[in-house]
Amino acid sequence: MSQVLHSKRGALGVTVIFLFVIVGVFAPLISPYDPIKPFMDPGQYPAYGVNGPKIAEKLCYPSWYRYVPWIHKGPINVTETFINTVIVYEGQKFSNVTSLPLRRRIAKPLGIKVIFKDGSSRKLIQDEEWTWDFNKLRVMDINWKVAGDLPNGTLVEANYLTGSDISETIVLMDDYKFSSEESCSVLENQTNNPSLVSIKYNSQDGFENDGCIQITYLGSKHTASDGEANATLLLPFEYSYWSPPTSFDTHFSAHVEATLRTEVIIRLWMRNEILDETFLISTYNLSSTGIFIHKHPPSTSHEAIANIGSYPERSIFPLPANMSYGLTIDFPNKEKDVTVYIDNLQSILYGNSFGLLGTDNGSPYPPRDIFSTLVHGTRVSLVVGVLSALFSTLIGLFLGLIAGYVGGITDETVMRFADLLLVLPTLPLFIVLISVMSATYGLVSMWNIIILITFFGWMGFSRSVRSMVLSIRERPFIEAAKAAGGGKFYIITRHMIPNVFPLVYVTLATSVPGAIITEASLSWLGLGDKTIPSWGKVLYDFNVSGIAVTKGLTEYWFWIFPPCVSIAILATAFILLGFALDEILNPRLRERR
Amino acid sequence: MGLRGYVAKRIIYSLILIWAVITVNFLIFSMLPGDPMQQFVAGLKGNIDEERYAELRHSFGLDKPLHERYLLSLGNMLTFNFGVDTISGEPVFDHLRTPLLNTLLLMGTAEIIAIIAGILLGVIAAYKRDSILDTTLTTGSLVTYSVPIFFVGWIMILFFAVQLHWFPSGGIIPIEWGRNPPTNILQYISGRLSFIFLPALTLFLFTVGGWILFTRACILETINEDYVLTARAKGLKERTVLYKHVLKNASLPLITNVALAFAFLISGAIITETLFSYSGMGLATWNAIYPTPILPVLQAIFYISGLLVIIANFIADLLYGVIDPRVRYG
Repeated sequence: MSQVLHSKRGALGVTVIFLFVIVGVFAPLISPYDPIKPFMDPGQYPAYGVNGPKIAEKLCYPSWYRYVPWIHKGPINVTETFINTVIVYEGQKFSNVTSLPLRRRIAKPLGIKVIFKDGSSRKLIQDEEWTWDFNKLRVMDINWKVAGDLPNGTLVEANYLTGSDISETIVLMDDYKFSSEESCSVLENQTNNPSLVSIKYNSQDGFENDGCIQITYLGSKHTASDGEANATLLLPFEYSYWSPPTSFDTHFSAHVEATLRTEVIIRLWMRNEILDETFLISTYNLSSTGIFIHKHPPSTSHEAIANIGSYPERSIFPLPANMSYGLTIDFPNKEKDVTVYIDNLQSILYGNSFGLLGTDNGSPYPPRDIFSTLVHGTRVSLVVGVLSALFSTLIGLFLGLIAGYVGGITDETVMRFADLLLVLPTLPLFIVLISVMSATYGLVSMWNIIILITFFGWMGFSRSVRSMVLSIRERPFIEAAKAAGGGKFYIITRHMIPNVFPLVYVTLATSVPGAIITEASLSWLGLGDKTIPSWGKVLYDFNVSGIAVTKGLTEYWFWIFPPCVSIAILATAFILLGFALDEILNPRLRERR
Repeated sequence: MGLRGYVAKRIIYSLILIWAVITVNFLIFSMLPGDPMQQFVAGLKGNIDEERYAELRHSFGLDKPLHERYLLSLGNMLTFNFGVDTISGEPVFDHLRTPLLNTLLLMGTAEIIAIIAGILLGVIAAYKRDSILDTTLTTGSLVTYSVPIFFVGWIMILFFAVQLHWFPSGGIIPIEWGRNPPTNILQYISGRLSFIFLPALTLFLFTVGGWILFTRACILETINEDYVLTARAKGLKERTVLYKHVLKNASLPLITNVALAFAFLISGAIITETLFSYSGMGLATWNAIYPTPILPVLQAIFYISGLLVIIANFIADLLYGVIDPRVRYG
């Protein structure tokens, strides 16, 4: 063994294999997410059912992209040119105000230059001559008002910053279950009538009998002078990215405790302080049902947002801003006492980056963390590779010994059978076998693949063992052993196996890569075990996702290259080890000195 | 037993192998539980009543006893009657004829170049054992030998097709040939070659490493033999020793390996062709697997590739017999 470490290639191979084994063994510690069905906090958000929310949006970039300057460009300075066609007269004043319809989402205007028909140009100075009218800021159509005389047909150059950013996922509430009173400290609460509405922490009446926020409305104390009361819980946060989140989820649980036919209206909203605008996400009319109601309106489907545009994130989060996420409860039945318990208040803004290697397209499961899949795939590849190599080598050793030592009809049968198996093209055969098996039984397990690779992998080795046995059989020491009264079993175990064993090591090392690559190829063709994360399966997912066609190979390189490189490195490591062992153990390769 | 006897023996042996492949193919489909008819019906995706089901079973001969079905399948396989594609309804063999030719073209090109280059480089590596050239060649071969072929293919596409735009990234003929194929023969050949180049290069890189390593190992095994020492001691030129004494003796296992490499190459071609959308047997295999498995096509593909390997083996055996007189009389 020490000789292996002395050879450069052997040492390299052993080191790499050792590293992969460590990664494989400690896979669950290295990667926090389930590589097959990853969920954030599984089962803890009641509205999601058994599973929690997905960990990330699909097709995320690696999060370290943020720190690569040539990928993460930050806000881009964009210049657009328009021909002025609209002149707006404002009241009695003789000042022309021009509306500039900008077709892009604008973050921050930097300057406007106008070019008149005669070729002369003038740069408009900020604050003096133009104003940025946020009141009319909408996604597709933004008006800039430019004071000054701009005849029809004047060219206007608008220069502004717009979003291009690698954003990360933001989970707004850390302790969304309100398990302790401190968790409320991040929330602000407001009410328009403090004498009737009280908001406080309740440590036992929440969902799952843990903490929650209790909002009590004393309708019995209502007087004619009081208007309709409301209560608001809001969570201020800072949105620091130049591009909007890919999507966002909101979630809350509510429990209304009141007499029959008492209604409360709960409105969920997001507020952007720079735009000075509140976006209603959804409205719920809840009456006293005695049980918790769980809601998680997905961001893109709700009608309240739909009228802002089909991509509400763009309207709500157009630029870095101070935001707040809130929930307002109205009490329309003025004379009735109501207690509302709010729990599991959460909102997750999914950014376009995640983890070390991003996420895949998440079909049919939620998007998976590619790094987790990669780390867990190490286990599969090692187990399949090592076990198939081990089994096939042992079978080859056994049959080779039997064929060589017993000889005669046994030898002929075994060797002709081996010849037949050698001739069969293995991959097409595997494809047929697995297709038939999966059509019959529905599922292919990793063990089926190990058995297949084992069954079609022993022939070469048994041939070499047989030929070695044939030559050893004629040596004098075997004859001596026979003369001393050694039985067949004794001679095989004591004299044959020790002589053949160096070859076992070499074959073990060199047949692992074949098994690993066969497994990967089968998984790549979609014929592997789909319930376990293997490297080949990642490639299959990429292959059937159509990303290579729609986006090209380069953009999502982090999806395919790491598994490919891992397969290549692991296979090469085993080959290098086998090669080094061969140089050391194979006497025929020793150089004549 | 002369050469004729040897050839006869090989022919009989090949026929036995063909019979074995057909039998394996039959066993896979008939020994597994479940009625193959159900899969055919599932492939049709229609509702079929009992009567029609029985009728279909009869028309496929599935109601016959096992031994009759076996003989029937034996006859069908030998006459290349693979039944019909469960999805398109075309006869499977018509479906596979052009892909088969395309694959043979691709594999032939890649294999021949890989064998020539591999043997030459292997001889050089073995002869200059432990030099920098040898270390580079062997390490490089070990790497290309163990790198999965789809990775090599992706890198080829990325580098030559996406970055450099030298070659098309996939397909078999230019799209505009669909309407009016070129009349100029040179144009036709160059067009085809530009599409073959990348998959062939991928297959070449995939196989050449194995050839270098194998040649090197064969040469190293013979280079230490006593007769080589004798030849050197006689004062023969180094070149003569290498080609007349070493390579000639080392070439025997190489020839056997040509046939086995063919079997390897079929596996490689399935993946390479899928990757490059090269319309050969490999792409046909992928289309027969995804999205729904078409079993008759898969069966035919397995049979044809088995047949190809057997033929390659047969040719290799013949060559072996011609080169090595010991084989003929042994």
